[in-house]
Amino acid sequence: MLTKKQRLFKVLEGTDVDRPPCICPGGMMNMVTEELIDQRGINFTDAHHDPELMADLAESVVVSGCFENYGVPFCMTVEAEGFGAEVVYGSNSVEPHVATYLNRSVTEWSDLPKVDHETGRSAVVLEAIKRLKGRNMQVPIVGNITGPISTASSLMEPVDFYKELRKKNADAHAYMAKVTESLMDFLLLQIEAGADIIAISDPSGTGEILGPKLFSEFAVPYLNQLIDCASERGIPTIVHICGQMKKVYKEVDCIKSHALSFDAMVNMKEARLNLPNRCIMGNLSTYTLEFGSPEKIKGLTTQCLNQGVDIVAPACGLGMRSPLENVQAVLKTVKEGLADDNN
Amino acid sequence: MTQAKDELLKKLSDGVLEMEEDIVIESANAYLEAGYPVLDGVLHGLVDGMNRASVLFDEEEYFVTDVLLCSDAMYEGLNILRPHLPAEEVEKEKPKGVIGVVEGDTHDIGKNLVKIMLETAGFEMHDLGRDVPLQSFVNKAKEVNADLVCLSTLMTTTMGGMETVINLLKDEGIRENMKVIVGGGPISQKFADMIGADGYSVNAVEAVKLSKSLLSLA
Repeated sequence: MLTKKQRLFKVLEGTDVDRPPCICPGGMMNMVTEELIDQRGINFTDAHHDPELMADLAESVVVSGCFENYGVPFCMTVEAEGFGAEVVYGSNSVEPHVATYLNRSVTEWSDLPKVDHETGRSAVVLEAIKRLKGRNMQVPIVGNITGPISTASSLMEPVDFYKELRKKNADAHAYMAKVTESLMDFLLLQIEAGADIIAISDPSGTGEILGPKLFSEFAVPYLNQLIDCASERGIPTIVHICGQMKKVYKEVDCIKSHALSFDAMVNMKEARLNLPNRCIMGNLSTYTLEFGSPEKIKGLTTQCLNQGVDIVAPACGLGMRSPLENVQAVLKTVKEGLADDNN
Repeated sequence: MTQAKDELLKKLSDGVLEMEEDIVIESANAYLEAGYPVLDGVLHGLVDGMNRASVLFDEEEYFVTDVLLCSDAMYEGLNILRPHLPAEEVEKEKPKGVIGVVEGDTHDIGKNLVKIMLETAGFEMHDLGRDVPLQSFVNKAKEVNADLVCLSTLMTTTMGGMETVINLLKDEGIRENMKVIVGGGPISQKFADMIGADGYSVNAVEAVKLSKSLLSLA
């Protein structure tokens, strides 16, 4: 019998396993829900600042039978906050989000500060990873990084950022390089702290927003810098991209991560065909996870399995009000699938 | 030498389509100087270019960044031509829309696209921005006597706010004076029906068609 960690590692290496793992990385792909938080009797806002609470909450995701991984943090604002963007921390039902931007234009790239990841909430995340590492060796610990485009467009008005990719092309690259450098530092510290896997979510760098040309020019190379950085240390990576993939499969295939994770609107059968040699992950509708029934979710999970996903996962971060019963139905179905096969 | 009207209209339209702000600015100035009817320059030049861009967007040949850049070029041209529109055009009553991203959500790319497309289609849009307190939609709709309220969200967590806005409009007794349309990643026709919205559209181009048909505009 494989441990959760062995199974995920094998799948990421491309080796056959008994059944697909069922994970939710954390970060933008948040897996913590209001019900889970209330069960633990804590405030979500505290868990963003307290490494022990963060580790506890990450652990409870596994204990309660939701997913087969630990993952921290539970939002995508840590990196932007490190640079100096102002973040509001939300509530038990609202995730943290960036409230005020740091820059007005990519031309301000040289003003971007050097982020000290050993202080502030970056340090909380690193300490939480250390504590999870100390507690358990059987469950994979996923460290999360907000992707370069998503971090950059959290530091300034996204509409201006997108336009400046073309209008101020050279400055835009300088801005992206500086942001990526800081993300790389954070990634290395996460690995040092004990992260087994790095997941990078770049929801703002979609093919629909950028189109194939800008996607190749601005999404792929900076993502690959992060991936290379982890690969050199023997750490596998997962990259999550939001939105439709139809127009950018070729470009997406240039992302060198071990696994690619997709949004709910992506037809996984089509993804399988277009990316035959890739480990693909996804893509349970988070809308259904929040508003559907366990029965419906069972059907959806089975459909995902039949379409050939290698790792079963939600298509996006979970809605904070998703019923626990619904979330648990996913892993239950994945495990039942295995039981059926054995019969 | 004065350039022919058709030639300049084509330059305005192509300039918007090809995101060439400089060409649009130059052509708009040349168009004014030649004394051609300003309204034609707006409609058959700038707006025509933007409409062509939205067709390409609909066909997935253009992407969000393209449309944003096209609209920048269009607005550059409008800034030059608009002050010269004849008074009767300026004062002509336009359909009025209020638009914003509901409270708790800061994703506003989709909202911005819808606003651009509706402005292109001749609507007077009042943009409340993102993370908008729900009561503000009602206040603004009342203030400008809106024909249309457009609510957007990308997050499942904030969808509920859309229903609240509709209920607030009912409480104020003005719900029947306007059409409410909703959109954004997690939104569906089913959800729109459930909360009593008048319509849902999957993207910005469809939002224009929907708004026009709901308000029985050509």
